Amino acid sequence: MGNDYAIEADGLRRTYRGRTGWLRPRRTEVEAVRGVSFTVGRGELFGLLGPNGAGKTTTIKMLNTLLLPTSGSARVCGQDVVKQTREVRRRIGYVFGGDRGLYDRLSGLDNLRYFAELYGVAPREQKRRIAELLELVGLTGRERERVEGYSRGMRQRLHIARGLLHSPEVLFLDEPSIGVDPVAARELRRTVSDLAATGTTVLLTTHYMAEADELCDRIAVIADGQIQALGTPAELRHHADGRRIVEVEAYGVPDTAVSALRGLPGVRETAIEERGALQLLTVQSDAHIDVQGDILRELAGIRLGRVNSREPTLEDAYVAIVNAA
Amino acid sequence: MKPGPTTPPPPLTGLKTLRLMTVGGVIAYRALFNWTRPSIFIGTLLVGPLFQLLFFAYLGRQLQVADDRFYIVGNAVLTATLACVFGGTLAVGNERRYGTLGHVLLSPRSRTVVFLGRALPYAGNGLFIAVVTLGVSSALLGLRIPAAAVPGLLLSMAVGSLACAFFGLTLGALGLRFRDVWVISNVAVALLLLLTGVNVPSGSLPGWMVTVGQFLPITHAAEAARRLAGGSGLSAAAPELGREALVGVGYAILAALLLKIFETESRRTASLDTL
Repeated sequence: MGNDYAIEADGLRRTYRGRTGWLRPRRTEVEAVRGVSFTVGRGELFGLLGPNGAGKTTTIKMLNTLLLPTSGSARVCGQDVVKQTREVRRRIGYVFGGDRGLYDRLSGLDNLRYFAELYGVAPREQKRRIAELLELVGLTGRERERVEGYSRGMRQRLHIARGLLHSPEVLFLDEPSIGVDPVAARELRRTVSDLAATGTTVLLTTHYMAEADELCDRIAVIADGQIQALGTPAELRHHADGRRIVEVEAYGVPDTAVSALRGLPGVRETAIEERGALQLLTVQSDAHIDVQGDILRELAGIRLGRVNSREPTLEDAYVAIVNAA
Repeated sequence: MKPGPTTPPPPLTGLKTLRLMTVGGVIAYRALFNWTRPSIFIGTLLVGPLFQLLFFAYLGRQLQVADDRFYIVGNAVLTATLACVFGGTLAVGNERRYGTLGHVLLSPRSRTVVFLGRALPYAGNGLFIAVVTLGVSSALLGLRIPAAAVPGLLLSMAVGSLACAFFGLTLGALGLRFRDVWVISNVAVALLLLLTGVNVPSGSLPGWMVTVGQFLPITHAAEAARRLAGGSGLSAAAPELGREALVGVGYAILAALLLKIFETESRRTASLDTL
């Protein structure tokens, strides 16, 4: 492994062992990550995509030294994540999504001051660095307010500022836009994109396909603890080559109807997304077979909205990859 | 402004370590100690312990076990325990509550410095409470303290508070392993009330309790403070102060060891709900 890589993961595995029950304790074992290998180049914006429980966060926690791998090895900026933890920690920043992870009783400024101490930012540089970052994330003027009064978007921006305090070479972003409104999410994407443009290596995990598509140079799709596909967004789209997508807006589609659709000739995948009372039914089929008529026949008697046929997107490719796992 | 990657910060030593202990410790105190709101601070840390002191002083008068000085001075030193024991527990336990523990553990800096620094504001807080309680209770109950004894008393209370803060941090370290560490802290405060000889003269306690008390904070500081308030010089109190300091150093080392062990264990077993 050379020094051209910011991150090198080689056969990473992590098994969680636990015990349940008092009277008759039973040992449990979950293989969260099962042999993950990939490399991330310096300055690259790399996406790790996968459904809940796929092993994304466990992988990040092994790379950022919070967890020891059960087997395999990893290096960040050439430093071993098991043996050279302090060296790794000097070089990385970690940002995760959600409301937690900040001291609510302190102001945004004091949060940054404290973490500047913890992350070893030289005292004479702290003031300038914090001011720069507040400007970067758009919190200038609000920094003296207590964090408990911040909106989720403001908290998320403060998380990012905190993660950048010590100018890390590698930034781990673990679902940073989760629960953030669309406007704030767009701001976040812009910030992340700016970071990558300045040479910071970013490893981003996300559920949001559009986010990954817009930001990432390369994407690894992880499911069931293993990498199922890895490539540029354009390369990943090929996983849905030869397919056609039919989307149907419907109300009250029973499970039996969805099962029936899966059995139609030419249908490869079905997915249903709840949008309040509305359900969006997505059916992937072989491109050379027109399944729209069959679908509508199966849904006869169900109240339908718009019906749309289109080319596959990255999201469709992702669904195809994950379902094939 | 385009913040880009720079060379990683060099290892920090000396003054910067001191800064992490002091500046970092004070910010962490403000972030994690819930009881700094005036109503809680006054009610829980000042008024409550004062009434406890009065209770034992009047009980002592009634039962004629010991004089006012025994109860007032001993209990005044003991009042530091609330801020120190619960403060130490909050210093780690609230990290779980706020979900910040992972970010603290990702710091490249020494855990020992980060966490031992957190004990200092609690010791200061404990000292303040002890001084206020001693002053107010002495005025209320008519205890005269020789002016010459004041510096020594302050020293006794400071050493006792510091030892107690490290004891609290030791309990807080258990919070890295056990989620319900509050149970342990509550029991610990009750044990300090019983075993430090503050309210029950050690001669009246079973031998094993006296032995346990020798290894707890406050025991020796309270005894030193009583001697000083009784007019003995600092030289008479020095051996007890030395023992109290040793107890404090012992707990500081134990806290640092436990923090190290539990952090290492958490990386191996994923036992710590870090984020």
